[in-house]
Amino acid sequence: MFGFFRKKQSASVAKDRLTIAIMSDRNKGDAYPFMDEMKAEIIAVVKRYIGVRTVEIKKEFDGDFEALSIDVQLDKNA
Amino acid sequence: MGIVIAVISGKGGVGKTTASANLGLGIAQNDKTCVLVDFDIGQRNLDMILGLENRVVYDMVQVMEEEASVKQALIKSKVSDNLSFLAASQSKDKSILNSEKVEKLINHLRDEFDFVILDAPAGIESGYEHTIEFADAAIVIVNPEVSSIRDADRAIGILDSKSNKVKNGEEVAKYLIINRIVATMVQSGEMLRSEDILEILNIKLLGKVPEDRGVIDASNQGKPVILDKKSIAGQAYTRISGRLCGEKVEMKDIEISDAGLFKKLTGMFK
Repeated sequence: MFGFFRKKQSASVAKDRLTIAIMSDRNKGDAYPFMDEMKAEIIAVVKRYIGVRTVEIKKEFDGDFEALSIDVQLDKNA
Repeated sequence: MGIVIAVISGKGGVGKTTASANLGLGIAQNDKTCVLVDFDIGQRNLDMILGLENRVVYDMVQVMEEEASVKQALIKSKVSDNLSFLAASQSKDKSILNSEKVEKLINHLRDEFDFVILDAPAGIESGYEHTIEFADAAIVIVNPEVSSIRDADRAIGILDSKSNKVKNGEEVAKYLIINRIVATMVQSGEMLRSEDILEILNIKLLGKVPEDRGVIDASNQGKPVILDKKSIAGQAYTRISGRLCGEKVEMKDIEISDAGLFKKLTGMFK
């Protein structure tokens, strides 16, 4: 009869989902404050040799292993 | 020298502008001087909430472009001489903002007022970054709802990496206001409890504001709800403003106070 009151409360579902979503958000993308600066410097260095359109830097996780993946997109017209 | 506080949220529509207006008035009622600056370039809102939409002559961008002086652009509140307001520009794009101009304006206001409150635009784009850049502290507004909390965490992340204070190795103080709490829903487990929100966001609590129909009624009239002594949201903003001005105001547990009948009902099943 009172089964309705015993179903899992939505607030605790919200807490679980949020905890996971926020943890994954925090591990993404521009994780360091110096990312923009570093990006600009990399572009400047590459530009001395070849045309460059943009640089993407991503922080990646693989278990305990952390890496920066740096993707340099070249500009053929430059 | 005054303190510069950015009012931020990430997500739009959670009550950022309403909170800014009420805190501004609350600070003014505590005998401190305060200026509210609407940083939401292109979308003027704070003037309506304050009931000052007909008095705007010059806006914040015109001051930064030196087309008007700060003195010319500041608008005095109708209800308190301690509160002034600087309107957002409607005509210009947020790309008009640049760090030097923002810093110059903020430093000028900091010298003149005890509190400089910057109402940030929603989102985490450049307009937001300029709002937090020179802030000493931030007040984060959330609703007890998943998308608001997630977006707030993103906004806090940017605050922690892009504010000038952090770049200089200092810390930006951050405080949370949980807005639109419905006590009965918290009691029945249908709404996140404030302890859970604080734990998820890892931030200090500044205050809780209950859901209150009076807030819309207040903005309809351009008279912030803090002016209505009977309003429960208004009372919450009075308590929060007191805390901001250094008073010790106890945290009122609005998550149980109006549960009344409902509490008795659920109690029967325990």
